[in-house]
Amino acid sequence: MPGRWLTYCLAALAVLAVADAPPAAARPQHIVSINLCADQLLMRLADPDQIASLSYFSRDASMSNLAEEASAFPRNRGLAEEVMRYKPDMVFAGRYTKRMTVDLLKRIGVDVVELDVPRSIPDVEAQIRRVGEALGQEARAEAMVREMEARLATEDVSASKRPSAIVYEPNGYTVGAGSIINVLISLAGLENLAAEKGLESYSRLPLEKLVALSPDVLVVGDYRDAPAVANEILHHPVLSRMPRPMEIVSVPQRLWMCGGPDIFKAVEVLRQAADKARARQ
Amino acid sequence: MSEIALQATGSAAGYRRLLGILSLTLLVAFVLSLAIGYGPFDFGAALHSALSGKDDLGALVFIEIRLPRAILGLFVGFALGLAGAVMQAFLRNPLAEPGIIGISGAAAFGAVVIFYSGLAAVSSLLLPIGGIVAALAAGLLLFAVAGRNANTATLILAGIAVNSLAGALVSLVLNLSPNPFAATEIMFWLMGSFADRSLTHVAIALPPIVAGCIALFLTSRALDALALGEDTATSLGFDLRITRALLVGGVALAVGGAVAVSGTIGFVGLVVPHLLRPFVAYRPSLLLPASALGGAILTLSADIAVRLLPTQPELKLGVVTAVIGAPFLFSLVWRMRGDLR
Repeated sequence: MPGRWLTYCLAALAVLAVADAPPAAARPQHIVSINLCADQLLMRLADPDQIASLSYFSRDASMSNLAEEASAFPRNRGLAEEVMRYKPDMVFAGRYTKRMTVDLLKRIGVDVVELDVPRSIPDVEAQIRRVGEALGQEARAEAMVREMEARLATEDVSASKRPSAIVYEPNGYTVGAGSIINVLISLAGLENLAAEKGLESYSRLPLEKLVALSPDVLVVGDYRDAPAVANEILHHPVLSRMPRPMEIVSVPQRLWMCGGPDIFKAVEVLRQAADKARARQ
Repeated sequence: MSEIALQATGSAAGYRRLLGILSLTLLVAFVLSLAIGYGPFDFGAALHSALSGKDDLGALVFIEIRLPRAILGLFVGFALGLAGAVMQAFLRNPLAEPGIIGISGAAAFGAVVIFYSGLAAVSSLLLPIGGIVAALAAGLLLFAVAGRNANTATLILAGIAVNSLAGALVSLVLNLSPNPFAATEIMFWLMGSFADRSLTHVAIALPPIVAGCIALFLTSRALDALALGEDTATSLGFDLRITRALLVGGVALAVGGAVAVSGTIGFVGLVVPHLLRPFVAYRPSLLLPASALGGAILTLSADIAVRLLPTQPELKLGVVTAVIGAPFLFSLVWRMRGDLR
């Protein structure tokens, strides 16, 4: 009898030893994300069995680029109690959202990784690498950064050939300097008029001023089909009656609202619009 | 009968002068509303190109952005001022007004249901219809609960109940919407705004507003008779059931149509009739046109004010009218505190 017990114990030790062997041991095994941007990085960088739960909006195709993949994981509404049910060894959250939950989780000793809002391409890359490191998946993170760099690489468009552009989002908000979107517009070979006019990132641009600026390209922040008064301004009849027709292009919010690996797709959409605007001139 | 009344007050000329002054002020407010905006446009040049049919940027801003805003301000204010005057006279209640007794709130709920369910995208005509139907339902409900001769407290309490329910239901619909912006739009529906409305909004709101105002003006002679007492009015041959139908239908059309495109704008119908009543010798039939013009002036002025105030984003219109109107309501309650007991 004792012999059999010994075998069991040795076997258990052996299992523990294997589990302890780097790098797998360093890898968190019960990750919960309460942030949509973290969801999308996790699904690409982590092994599926590392993920315990994703945020509520991860399955929403209008916000998430991996909505279909996300349906394989349980989802949470980002409440501390709900998160704890998964007994997470790591929680991913945003720097500025769900602060109450994050504070509570930290207080009870949960390892919380907070994602920043990137403002430049190096910021985006650093964030991907940081998440990769936290997951113990450095190689995948490095590959993701390389691919993104390759897709973003572009021939220089001389300043004179740059069509002017304005981003117009629901409620008439525009994007100025100091935002990743401004960087993406430049990368696409467009000139962001709002940044040139010294507008801050996310300030309101009255419809009248937009008409006065009369850009070559109007980048409409397309949110979703469900109606909202906020969206009405994007369909105001004046926009289709401009004396000099604008190229109106709609960039799905899910491509650039995270400043994650999908931003090159937004740049591709913008490049096509820039080409059309140049052809028109 | 109006003639006799005017001779009795000895100021037919005075009344004409009052209407003249109000019309002139309204014209000034309308022109200012067209001239003030955010874009750096020369008003004179834009007006010239618009009139000569040129399609430059100035004309475009003028016709597509500022004109709808000014027209809506004028008609919505006109309807609110008129509705307040008619309701105060018919209900013989100084606090009667579409906002306070919950008709505007109900109209907002009707419009919100149509808008966020996507029905407004099927046909924009459905939007005012939603507002009108809900306003009509609230009007009928209030009459059923409070009756025509209800005391002030009963009517106001019934109004509070309708307002709270409508506000909660608006909030519910907005929260059920999958659009993340919807939840923040309670401000628009409860406080009102004419910002960035288009000629499409003018086209859908104007017909019901005009029809409603005509119905409300038709009550004018009955309201004069009613001022002498219900029996006198009946003996003079006025069927008060018809007057009531005109009032409920007219308010529903005018307020329902207005709220559907601009949200609820409070206090206009309360403040304006009280301010102008002393100038028309307290005669309802004379008060109606004056109050309608006054409502339009107040609403256009408030809309000019929100554009001049350096807030980001622009203030909602109801904020300005409440800042003016709420102290006014308070002073009314102060004066009436003996009667309310």
